[in-house]
Amino acid sequence: MSCGRHHQTPCVEVLARVYEYIDGELATSDCATVKQHLDECGPCLREFGIEEEVKVVVKRSCSDPAPEELRAKVLLRIRQAQLELAPEG
Amino acid sequence: MLASSTLKRGEAPYLSWPEWPTGGAAARPVSSRAMTEDASTGTGTDSPERAETPAERTARFERDALQYVDQLYSAALRMTRNPSDAEDLVQETFAKAYASFHQFQVGTNLKAWLYRILTNTFINTYRKKQREPLQADTETVEDWQIAAAGEHTSSGLKSAEAEALEHLPDSDVKDALASIPEDFRIAVYLADVEGFAYKEIADIMGTPIGTVMSRLHRGRRLLRNQLQDYARERGLVPSASSPEVSR
Repeated sequence: MSCGRHHQTPCVEVLARVYEYIDGELATSDCATVKQHLDECGPCLREFGIEEEVKVVVKRSCSDPAPEELRAKVLLRIRQAQLELAPEG
Repeated sequence: MLASSTLKRGEAPYLSWPEWPTGGAAARPVSSRAMTEDASTGTGTDSPERAETPAERTARFERDALQYVDQLYSAALRMTRNPSDAEDLVQETFAKAYASFHQFQVGTNLKAWLYRILTNTFINTYRKKQREPLQADTETVEDWQIAAAGEHTSSGLKSAEAEALEHLPDSDVKDALASIPEDFRIAVYLADVEGFAYKEIADIMGTPIGTVMSRLHRGRRLLRNQLQDYARERGLVPSASSPEVSR
């Protein structure tokens, strides 16, 4: 699979690393290889851009604050657990 | 619910971090140490020489762990997809974490440790027995790559497709995440929202790193397709570039 042009690293290899790349899990040397490819390959760059955007919107949209009273409920549970765990006597 | 489940120390093996260094003094003796009465004086004495009293441990737990209530709730909500269950799950998680706090190794990642308890509690308590047909869609890494390489557009910093995703409302993104299989959903959440490293996600989910990567890969592919569907439904994608090829 490729965009039709010749690259030092084939598109298929670069696309296979897209998640490791956007997750910051690639070793520095691999990172440089991918970057170089993206500099010269529009389709892969676009593909990476979409995957990165998915990651960005998930982070942006999927956090919810806890209800106000949850912290108090948690504290209460800890107190209960504390009593259950206390050594007898 | 579950208010009165009896807690036993060290009941679950996942509460310790077998793969992380455990020093000799890791599990501090809890035994019959005298109880100092005033649990309220939470002085953060970190003297390693003497064993911590239960009151001190409680204070330390509340000081260090309670700050994660919001984050754990948010994760619990993604897992259970239900606010009431999410609250229960968070409470249960903290109760378990408290009961096992003596096993937690100071200096290691408390947040990841709490997430591990959360994830296991969810799996053991809430996960329905349904077998998800995870293998059903054969692992053809190529299909999206074909789709990707088949279209030539772009050159600007952000493609029309990426821009369309950016304009999706939060509710669509939450729905899309909720729609993908549980294991994928949890992995994606841990990576994207919490920014955990693959190694940490592997520890939290109790799986090899390869499994984490596979879950992320497949989860994100499903997620992306769902998001792109939403974007099309909302007319955010210019029809010319709407990629019919993607599945």
